[in-house]
Amino acid sequence: MDAIIIDNATKMFRKTTKPKHHSTFKSELVRWVRGERQPLPEMWIEVLRGITLTVRQGTTLGIIGRNGAGKSTLLKMITGIYSPTSGKVTINGRISALLDLGAGFHPDFSGRENILINSIILGMSRAEVRARMPEIIAFSELGDFIDEPVRTYSSGMYMRLAFSVATHVDPDILIIDEILAVGDEHFAHKSRAKMDEFQKNGKTIVLVTHDLGTVERWCEEAIWIDGGTIRLAGEPSRVVREYRTAVMLEEAKGNGAQPPQAIPGVRVRIDRVRLSNAASSQSSRPNVLAPEDPLQVNIDFTSDAQPAMDIGFRIRLSRADGLTIYEASTFAESVALPNPLPARGTLQLQIQRVGLAPGTYLIDARAESRAGQVSELESCGFRVDAPQPDRGIVKLPHQWRVEDPGD
Amino acid sequence: MLRNITELYQYRALLWSLTQRELKARYRASVLGFLWTFLNPTLQMLTYGLVFNVLLRQQIRHFLFFQFVGLLPWIFFSASVVAGATAISDRRDLLTKVRFPPQVLPATVVATNLANYLLSLPLMIALGLIYREWPTWHAIAFPIVLLIQVLFTLGLAYVVSAINVAFRDLQHIVSNLVTLWFFLTPVLYEVSTIPEPYRRWIIWLNPMAPLIASYQRLFYHHQLPEIRPLAYVAAVSIALLWLASQVFEQRREEFAELV
Repeated sequence: MDAIIIDNATKMFRKTTKPKHHSTFKSELVRWVRGERQPLPEMWIEVLRGITLTVRQGTTLGIIGRNGAGKSTLLKMITGIYSPTSGKVTINGRISALLDLGAGFHPDFSGRENILINSIILGMSRAEVRARMPEIIAFSELGDFIDEPVRTYSSGMYMRLAFSVATHVDPDILIIDEILAVGDEHFAHKSRAKMDEFQKNGKTIVLVTHDLGTVERWCEEAIWIDGGTIRLAGEPSRVVREYRTAVMLEEAKGNGAQPPQAIPGVRVRIDRVRLSNAASSQSSRPNVLAPEDPLQVNIDFTSDAQPAMDIGFRIRLSRADGLTIYEASTFAESVALPNPLPARGTLQLQIQRVGLAPGTYLIDARAESRAGQVSELESCGFRVDAPQPDRGIVKLPHQWRVEDPGD
Repeated sequence: MLRNITELYQYRALLWSLTQRELKARYRASVLGFLWTFLNPTLQMLTYGLVFNVLLRQQIRHFLFFQFVGLLPWIFFSASVVAGATAISDRRDLLTKVRFPPQVLPATVVATNLANYLLSLPLMIALGLIYREWPTWHAIAFPIVLLIQVLFTLGLAYVVSAINVAFRDLQHIVSNLVTLWFFLTPVLYEVSTIPEPYRRWIIWLNPMAPLIASYQRLFYHHQLPEIRPLAYVAAVSIALLWLASQVFEQRREEFAELV
């Protein structure tokens, strides 16, 4: 059975042309008296542009995407806080949302009283709350503080209490927005175990997070939301990989990752970094390699002023998250480059084997002088795809063998 | 309207818990605790008693008791409408973070003030005893009058709470209008003392006038309320509640987006 069915749902928010969000009754009245009876022109912001999504019962779905892509709006639509502007959202089962912990807590009331009211707000009956009260209190580990007013709690205690309530509502569908890390290490473990228990009991879970590792490890399906639409849906590792590539390429394009600190003095400029892999098995797709492919990096350069004496090059290979995997420089390796360099040329770097685990990587190159002056950075992203799911950073050449002790 | 009422019934546990919490919070936060229910109307009663009885020499028998009979339901009404205006717009935390039935919020305000009114009735009876005004069998009509007032108050609270989400200045307008409304309602004077051309207007245009007059007949004049004006107010209240449900239903979708 399907727990969540979303059929071509859109969400638009109205914006009045006035700078202030709320118009006033008085101003509307004055307008009306003056004879301006027609409504003010309205502006609409389209946050979700046609989402179609089906979540089977018992599935854990991860939603990823950049800030402002519409993830939270989608969650609120699933929860029923927002209704879709067009399209349809169908939910089968009791839903509990952990969008914000402790919604509706009253500071002057004790933990126990707040458990009661918060559970009822989340959809439990009084009898159910009474039955589960000891369990909730035990899970929150508040001890004697449970009868103290909530305003005296530390933020960690507050979160623990709120999390305990929200997860003991016993929902069929659990909606989570970025709040798995509650409290200290111990409680975080406990809440993860609680989540695993939900998963094991066949509950449907929808999770929005920026922690891509969680999505890869823990979700069974993933969708990537971009600009209000589903850009990609499917297996989490694939969705996460594509998402990482896109983010990285965008950063590389806009020089977003590391602003190059060019020190004037090097008269050589890197025009472009290109990859060529003629022997590649997937040569039809540029910049997608297999771990066993050879790789050639081409660095096109121009020197502004002649003669360009004593110039070297440096390349760096890094993972999408910025971790340097390898760095090499012509000075360090005492490579004999033409001196002076020609006015225009291409430096080639041959790598016999890519040797990386599946993932997204970046190669950047810069020219440098012996005195440490460097040119602007140029970079190029690529992806490594492999049929077998290797983990880690590098793919080491290896063989498996069983040694028979009988011989 | 029926959907609204059935949903309200469905969420009665929530309504009940929130009301209980509001009452507890009100009495716990202040030093005087439960006495606060009595203190506020008593101070008002004494103030009006001073002005009208001593300074203006109002000629009404047992004036303190008389005005207390009308003042208590008036406080129920005015506090509900004034607090009702902000009932939804102040609860951003509930409306945007959990799936929450918004019609419970104005209903909670009305229920809380109703409870306050009922809790202060013993004080009114005690005051009557001082003046030797014993409650008579006429008081059996009290639940009917009260029910009509609840319907009217609820309808008005729904309308102002729904509109105040989009137009935030309504809450200030409402509190000013309520003050004006107080003096156009026979709380401090008797309906019979209003000069004739105005009396009809006040009775037919101000649904609170027949209601307050009915309470005065029940507890002060020891008579049954006049049927015709009361039936008229009942009809107006049901119509208002129907209209309020329409306005509320139409606007509830945007509450979460606008608060």
